[in-house]
Amino acid sequence: MAKDLILLENISKAYGDQVILDDLNLSIHENSFVTILGPSGCGKTTTLRIIGGFESPDSGRVIFDGKDITSLAPNKRQLNTVFQKYALFTHMTIAENIAFGLKIKNKTDQYIKDKIKYALKLVNLEGFEKRMPDSLSGGQQQRVAIARAIVNEPKVLLLDEPLGALDLKLRQDMQYELIRLKNELGITFIYVTHDQEEALTMSDHIVVMNQGYIQQEGSPETIYNEPENAFVADFIGDSNIIPAVMVRDELVNILGTNFACVDKGFGENKPVDVVIRPEDVELVKAGSGTLPGVVKNVIFKGVHYEMEVEAGGYEWLVHSTRMAEAGREIDICVDPFNIQVMKKPQSEDEEAIAIDV
Amino acid sequence: MKKFLERFYMGLILVFMYLPIVTMIVLSFNASKSRARWGGFTFKWYLNLFGDSEIINALANTMTIALISTLVATVIGTLTCVALMGVGRKSRAFIMGITNIPMINADIVTGISLMLLFRFLHMNTGFITVLIAHITFNIPYVMLSVMPRMKTINPSVYEAALDLGAEPFFAFRKTILPDLMPAVLSGAMMAFTMSLDDFIITYFTKGSGFDTLSTKIYNEVKRGIQPEIYALSAIIFLMVIVIMLGSRIMRYNKAKRAGSKEDSYAAKKRLPIGKTIAVIALAVVMITAGLVFGGVFRSKSNQVYVYNWGEYIDPEVIEIFQEETGIEVVYDEFESNEIMYAKLASDGAAYDVVCPSDYMISKLIGEDMLSPLDWDELPYAKENLDEAYMQSAAQFDPGNKYTIPNFCGTVGILYNKTMVDGPVNSWDILWDPKYKGSILMQDSVRDAFMVALARNGYSINSTDRMELEKAAADLIAQKPLVQAYVIDQVRDKMIGGEAALGVIYSGEAVYTQRENPDLEYVIPDEGSNVWLDGWCITKDARHKENALKWINFLCREDIALKNFEFVTYTTPNKKAQELIEDESIKNSEVAFPSEESLSNCEVYQYLGNDADKIYNDLWKKVKAAE
Repeated sequence: MAKDLILLENISKAYGDQVILDDLNLSIHENSFVTILGPSGCGKTTTLRIIGGFESPDSGRVIFDGKDITSLAPNKRQLNTVFQKYALFTHMTIAENIAFGLKIKNKTDQYIKDKIKYALKLVNLEGFEKRMPDSLSGGQQQRVAIARAIVNEPKVLLLDEPLGALDLKLRQDMQYELIRLKNELGITFIYVTHDQEEALTMSDHIVVMNQGYIQQEGSPETIYNEPENAFVADFIGDSNIIPAVMVRDELVNILGTNFACVDKGFGENKPVDVVIRPEDVELVKAGSGTLPGVVKNVIFKGVHYEMEVEAGGYEWLVHSTRMAEAGREIDICVDPFNIQVMKKPQSEDEEAIAIDV
Repeated sequence: MKKFLERFYMGLILVFMYLPIVTMIVLSFNASKSRARWGGFTFKWYLNLFGDSEIINALANTMTIALISTLVATVIGTLTCVALMGVGRKSRAFIMGITNIPMINADIVTGISLMLLFRFLHMNTGFITVLIAHITFNIPYVMLSVMPRMKTINPSVYEAALDLGAEPFFAFRKTILPDLMPAVLSGAMMAFTMSLDDFIITYFTKGSGFDTLSTKIYNEVKRGIQPEIYALSAIIFLMVIVIMLGSRIMRYNKAKRAGSKEDSYAAKKRLPIGKTIAVIALAVVMITAGLVFGGVFRSKSNQVYVYNWGEYIDPEVIEIFQEETGIEVVYDEFESNEIMYAKLASDGAAYDVVCPSDYMISKLIGEDMLSPLDWDELPYAKENLDEAYMQSAAQFDPGNKYTIPNFCGTVGILYNKTMVDGPVNSWDILWDPKYKGSILMQDSVRDAFMVALARNGYSINSTDRMELEKAAADLIAQKPLVQAYVIDQVRDKMIGGEAALGVIYSGEAVYTQRENPDLEYVIPDEGSNVWLDGWCITKDARHKENALKWINFLCREDIALKNFEFVTYTTPNKKAQELIEDESIKNSEVAFPSEESLSNCEVYQYLGNDADKIYNDLWKKVKAAE
């Protein structure tokens, strides 16, 4: 088990009446790529800013490498941040931008020169030393911002939606860049985003947040395949979230039809939610499946077809490489492993704090 | 055709905007003092200007105030904007609204309220109060310029600097400030211009003995604007153009350096700006320190505060007085009796010795605002002054208890000998159809009625309805003959030969004769107005002994002579008149009217509100008549 580098203990933060974080606990392992994922306003950026020292929590502690740094100023912390809008110093050259932190630390000129060279090479911007930030594209500016942060050899790099302002193609390129960088540098990355695809692609560990609470954390696979509640299921990719009744262990009644599943321990005849990913819904010939239905709508998406199927009074979202034309009667069947059963929250509040209780 | 019209229109607008300034600049090189006549090209007004220590002093004050107030306001304003970024949007909008109000507020309100505050705090008005006032009204201008720029700044730039290990102030200096600099500089520029330009607020907060250019120029206007002022205005205009071009070029260079992005002010080389600011700041600090120490070491007790008409004394006389007595003269000028009265009424101790004219003296005596003179301390006055004038003064100061006559003069007819036949000895000539279109009248109610009343043999202080109706009818009948009702232009038009006859003050007559020897001045036989002003000591004067020394000194014959030669109004100092070397002036009827011609002349008296109303109503009728 890897060592905990950062520990957030019982962190709470509110602006006026608005509670942003409520008794948050989080541990971050050394040398991991952790992504905090959630919709805007969920408290993910605030969490990052508390780690960076730009906000102080109303209560709770921030432990870094075994030491309490809760009240330490940002300029004294051994971590660096890559900001959402790059935050380059527009009146300085690229080299001056990168040298900023090193000069403050009174490094020798030669050291600084070598570091600039090394950092620019690392982010594929060799020869850009004399350019001004304004003359660079968004992607290039973001690389400079990363170079400026990493020359200081931080133990942790905080990234606040660094790819948010880039276009799709550039964003995908930068995702691979970041993974490569992380592996070359061997340091901890804490990455904040609202983009689930980014999170799934890059992270070792994902923390899903909503309304100031952590909803679920785990590896990308766990988060995707075994969402613990409707929010996580809905937020991570497209899903069919259907109210159902757990008949007994390993049998769930969905829309009046019994489906075999692998989940246990929910009790008997208890209301639950089930999550079935669109690509896990199989369409078979009418009469040979579990639940009969009719194809309502078909859209070609490139890799697959996206279909809407009316079955048991619910509109199922189905992804498949094989097309069933609209109007056709079919049957639905689902592999027991692909049915994810979740406890039904009794209220919205319970939904938010589901994982904490 | 359309293009031509467009250009013509543009040209017309430019002409309207700049013609007045061009005219002023041209006149600043005119060797003749007349505005109507070109007397050849000269630099003498510019030379005079730099020789005039008072104007140079005012210029230094203006620049010092402008520089220090700009610097302080810029620092405070910028810091306020930075601080405002830390508060909520609503409170920020509220605070910005509040700080904007002084900008929209009438200057006069700001000026008066500052004056009241300073007085309430028992602060002596002067350099420091003007400086505080200027800082106060400059801050909003700086904020107005800095705030919009501040809002565009990405605060994470500052956080990025902290993140990289910078201490907060260092981070601010390296990240926010350079981005803010263009707006800070343009705010400073605006504040500087506002400070240079301000008159009203300065006027109310400056107190006595301190002048900036604007208040100084305003004081000078009393006897008509002197060409030196044209020269000064031309220089100021040039300075403004240089500053404007400078900032344009600076911005242009920056835009070029910043590359393609339009709204980017990013200047790579920001160090020179920093150095310039450091140099300016150092200079300002040194000047301030100098002034403060200068103020500390200057003795405060041995002074006399003098309030006199503009250009009513030879500046050398003040210097001689200071040398001989060791008393420091704090000297201020006013442009009308009413302004002087307002100043005394608001602060009775502001001045020790003042020089109002006849009717105002009687008003001041009536309101117990003067202190009686100790004649034993005034030996020169006792010996040198002409008894005739003492008697004239007694008309408004019974028993000569409060006033020592300073200058006097008459109102009469100035005529051009080459254009008018025969000797002029009656106001009637102003009604002679022969001179239709060549007659100039004074554009002031009392002077105009005085002419008509005197012509009819009435008192010039008449309050008789019938007499006044008759005078008004005469003035209306005369109107087709009159070229214009004017004030200052009588002098210029007569010098330029544009009119044959004009009603004018005797003091102006001496000057016009010097410029154009064809002109002659006469007091008509029917009589006219004689006016007199004199030195009085205020009731609350703080330096009464010094004030007496001042008055006595001015009555010394050599000093009175010096003043006479400078001012050219009639001096009541008999001994001084005897000392005049130029026989033509010594015996001039204009400068020294005979007792006989004076015997018909009357002093204006204050007539009361009812009579005032009759005069004004009739005057309106006269002015409206065709």
